Amino acid sequence: MKSIGKMTQAELATYVQAHLQKRGVTVILSGGAAVSIYTDNQYVSADIDLVDVNFVKRKKIIDAMEDIGFCETNRYFKHPDTRHIVEFPPGPLSVGDEPVRSINEVKFSTGILKVISPTDCVKDRLAAYYYWNDQQSLTQALLVAKYQRVGLTEIKRWSLSTGKKQEFQIFLKKHSKKGKSDAREGSTNVL
Amino acid sequence: MLEPLLGSKSSEKVLIFIEALGEGYAREISRFFGTALTPIQKQLDKLELGGILVSSSKGRTRIYTFNPRYPFLKELKVILDKALSFYPENERERLLMNRRRPRRRGKPL
Repeated sequence: MKSIGKMTQAELATYVQAHLQKRGVTVILSGGAAVSIYTDNQYVSADIDLVDVNFVKRKKIIDAMEDIGFCETNRYFKHPDTRHIVEFPPGPLSVGDEPVRSINEVKFSTGILKVISPTDCVKDRLAAYYYWNDQQSLTQALLVAKYQRVGLTEIKRWSLSTGKKQEFQIFLKKHSKKGKSDAREGSTNVL
Repeated sequence: MLEPLLGSKSSEKVLIFIEALGEGYAREISRFFGTALTPIQKQLDKLELGGILVSSSKGRTRIYTFNPRYPFLKELKVILDKALSFYPENERERLLMNRRRPRRRGKPL
C-alpha cells in the first residue's frame, strides 16, 4: 500500500472511502475531484468532497478520519503528508432538487472509487453556473462533457426542469463548438 | 411559530428574514428582531453547514442567502411563506418593507 503522501487525489479519495466504509460510513465522491477524475486531471482541485449518504453522526466520521491521520480544522480534514483536503458536504446526494441515483465505480491502485456519474458531474457543475453564473463551473462542465460520454438528453431534461433553458443552450452551443474543433484536431475521448 | 419544527427560535428568525428579504447578515438579523447576536450567528453557521444557506463576503460582512442547490429549498420556502403570512401585520410589514434600495453615504435622512 502506498503511503498517503504518495497517493494521487483519486487514490486518496478511494483509500478514505474504503476506510470509512469499513467503519460503516458510506460516502460518494462529488465536486471538483470528480471533475479531475473525469477529465484526466485537466481540471485540478485540491478538495476531495465526500458526501455522506447515510447521515451518520459527525463524531463517527471524525473518529474514523483520525484513525488514518487526518485532523479536522474548521470542518475540513487535513493530513500532514498531503496537500489534499477532505470535506464532507451535507447530504443528501443530489443535483438541484433531484436525488442522484446512478453511481459510477472507477478502479484505482487503492481500490474501487464510488463517484457520481459523468452526467451527474456535468449537472453538478452546471448547477453552480446556472445559479451563480460561475464561469469556472461552466468550463468544468464542458471539460467533463468533452472527455466523457454524457447523457445530453438527460442534462437537457434536468436543465429545463430547473428553468434554465437559455443557460443550457449556451452550454450546448459551447459543447458543440468544442466537439467540432476537437474533431478537427483529431482528439479522442478518454475513459 | 415554526420553532417546534425547526428546533429553535433563532433558526426561524434567520430563515424568515432571509425568505422575506432574499439575504441577510448576522448583525442585521439580530438588530431586526432585537435579539442577541451570538445565537443568530450560531444558527447561520449551522444552516450553512447543513447546506441550506450559503454565504459570501462583502467587505467585512458575511452575507447569507438560500443555497439554490439545497434539494428541499422549494418545499422549505413554501413553509416559510406560509409562516410569514401568519406573522402579525406590523412584523410582516417591517420585514417586507425593510429598505433595500441604495442610500448615499452621509445622507441625513
